Amino acid sequence: MSDSASNLGALESWLEGGVDQLPGSGVDWLRAERSNALARARVEGIPTTSQEGWRYTGVKGLMEQSFARYAEAVTGVEQEDLEDVLVPGLDAHRVVLVNGRYVAALSTLGALPAGVRAGSLREILQADPDAVAERLTKVAGAGAHVFSALNTAGIDDGFVLLVGRGAAVERPIELIHLSVGMDEPRVAQPRHLIALEEGAQASLIERYVSLGESLYCTNSVLELSLGRQSLLRHQRIQLESPNAFHITGVYLSQGADSRYLGVNVGLGAAWARTDLVVRFAGQHAECDLKGLYLAGDKQVMDHHLDIDHQVPHCASRETFKGVLYGKGRAVFDGRIHVAVDAQKTDAQLSNKNLLLSRNAEIDTKPQLEIHADDVKCSHGTTVGQIDPQMLFYLRSRGISPLLARRMLCLGFAGEIIEALGPEPLREYVAEEVGRRLETAPLD
Amino acid sequence: MLSVKGLKATVEGKEILRGLDLEVSPGEIHAIMGPNGSGKSTFAHVLSGREGYEVTGGSVRFEGEDLLDLEPEERARKGLFLAFQYPVELPGVNNTYFLKAALNAIRTSRGEPELDAVSFMRLMREKLKVLHLDDSLLKRPVNFGFSGGEKKRNEIFQMALLEPKLAILDETDSGLDIDALRIVSDGVNALCSPERSMIVVTHYQRLLDYIEPDYVHVLANGRIIRSGGKELARELEDRGYGWIAEEAAA
Repeated sequence: MSDSASNLGALESWLEGGVDQLPGSGVDWLRAERSNALARARVEGIPTTSQEGWRYTGVKGLMEQSFARYAEAVTGVEQEDLEDVLVPGLDAHRVVLVNGRYVAALSTLGALPAGVRAGSLREILQADPDAVAERLTKVAGAGAHVFSALNTAGIDDGFVLLVGRGAAVERPIELIHLSVGMDEPRVAQPRHLIALEEGAQASLIERYVSLGESLYCTNSVLELSLGRQSLLRHQRIQLESPNAFHITGVYLSQGADSRYLGVNVGLGAAWARTDLVVRFAGQHAECDLKGLYLAGDKQVMDHHLDIDHQVPHCASRETFKGVLYGKGRAVFDGRIHVAVDAQKTDAQLSNKNLLLSRNAEIDTKPQLEIHADDVKCSHGTTVGQIDPQMLFYLRSRGISPLLARRMLCLGFAGEIIEALGPEPLREYVAEEVGRRLETAPLD
Repeated sequence: MLSVKGLKATVEGKEILRGLDLEVSPGEIHAIMGPNGSGKSTFAHVLSGREGYEVTGGSVRFEGEDLLDLEPEERARKGLFLAFQYPVELPGVNNTYFLKAALNAIRTSRGEPELDAVSFMRLMREKLKVLHLDDSLLKRPVNFGFSGGEKKRNEIFQMALLEPKLAILDETDSGLDIDALRIVSDGVNALCSPERSMIVVTHYQRLLDYIEPDYVHVLANGRIIRSGGKELARELEDRGYGWIAEEAAA
């Protein structure tokens, strides 16, 4: 893997072992995509804070680690290990990945409606690569940054969901990324493809969890392709180990009249970077993106939105809220681009932040780039503290300052938690949010 | 029960209370009246422990204990309750959850077990009836989008639920129409008991037509300048506050 032209440094180890052992290495288009991506990554190199997209997010901590690729699937994780990380009472088709690899023995997909194909990407690449040839790597394209390129260069395993024309998966599909600590720090690069044909419907709950508090890195990429009049509900809950690094690129392409309802919750990891990239490919499509992030001591939570309105009559809503405590730091970068032809675009971006301590920090940067003249676009960001009047009102009723703060923060976050859909999931997230706020010191 | 002696307090460096004395025994209802700016609300806030009010002199003892030494939540747990003049809206905080948290905080501090969901709902329904409140109010965020009357009734509802030893009603009548005033007053009267005391702070005599005080005090310039029975309220209604201030100055 050594190459004198490479700027990747420590990131080279992410692809250790070479690409020849990767599934589908004999498939021409896939080999070409991997090698193009690697070339791109090597040219691009390690991000620096002089790049606009990385201005507030240093990768120094990440580069100090040398993460090795998992060459082999991790074995030995049992059903009872999984119990610890399940959402109590959640009814779903379940898919489990352990350290980036699909584990059929832990997955309980059950019966799916006709016209639905679901399973391991690795298996599909080995047995029937044509099934994903049209979309895999095509939705993400060149990707937002070097990490997505590295993911493409090392495409190995992940989850594939293909929902055929008019088919609807009623129960949610839960995609659990379980990370288990190894003797040395490792990186997992799962790759997922979700494609909904015309009129199809599905609901995906994507969760990141760990056993223990080990150091590892997740670099996942999701490609979401929504056909005409399709509907995807997508809840993402990042609860990685407190020592982990987490990078996700979500690439969404929306056909005409399609709807995407997404909720992103970021609670875990020491350093987390999420890019949500939306392309409107057909008219009258709607995208509703909500987000909630918490960051405390030794935590960096970074969200980048890139919403591209290329065609007319599409609507997008971006509502992100953050609660920062201790020395927590967050970055919110929301970009909405409206092309010349994208008339009647309706785009509203909002980012609200609650700072619970003087040492917490948020860098929020909404950007509207509008080239059409008949559009309805707005953006707003706020950074504030807990209203002392509200706090006093609760205390005057006998409620302790700590509980009062927890109640007010959950109230602030309520709009996002409510959007999470199934009640067990809402309770699970409210509980996790509350628990973090309880242990955070009062300033 | 409550003993206030020579209480002095400042707000942003400005002296508002200038030596206030008040004794309240169990079961008594005291009305505190006075013109705007006389220090009525400041007194209510100082008792409840609100930030921004600095006590510069005097003492307040509640059941023999130094009240000023306690945090606001400790005062509430000891049995003090303030019905706010302007109840605060808490968007996103469910009213039922809030009421349950408050009740259980107070119960726990008294060494009583927390109420389970069923007993709590039963208790709430019982108290709702007294206040003629719709139970849809319980599902909404605390005071959020409530009308003025609903907010005040929600205050009295909380009081009914928390069963304080001493309730301070801060201008509870302000902003209420006559029907709402009657409902709120009925709620307050239903809570009167030989153990429970109340301090009713009001600008107008109107409220005292519904809630009958044992004592009426006139507060002016940060001091109680006159105390009497309920007939004093009537006199104030007829003659205004000017004459007392003049008499007091003379």
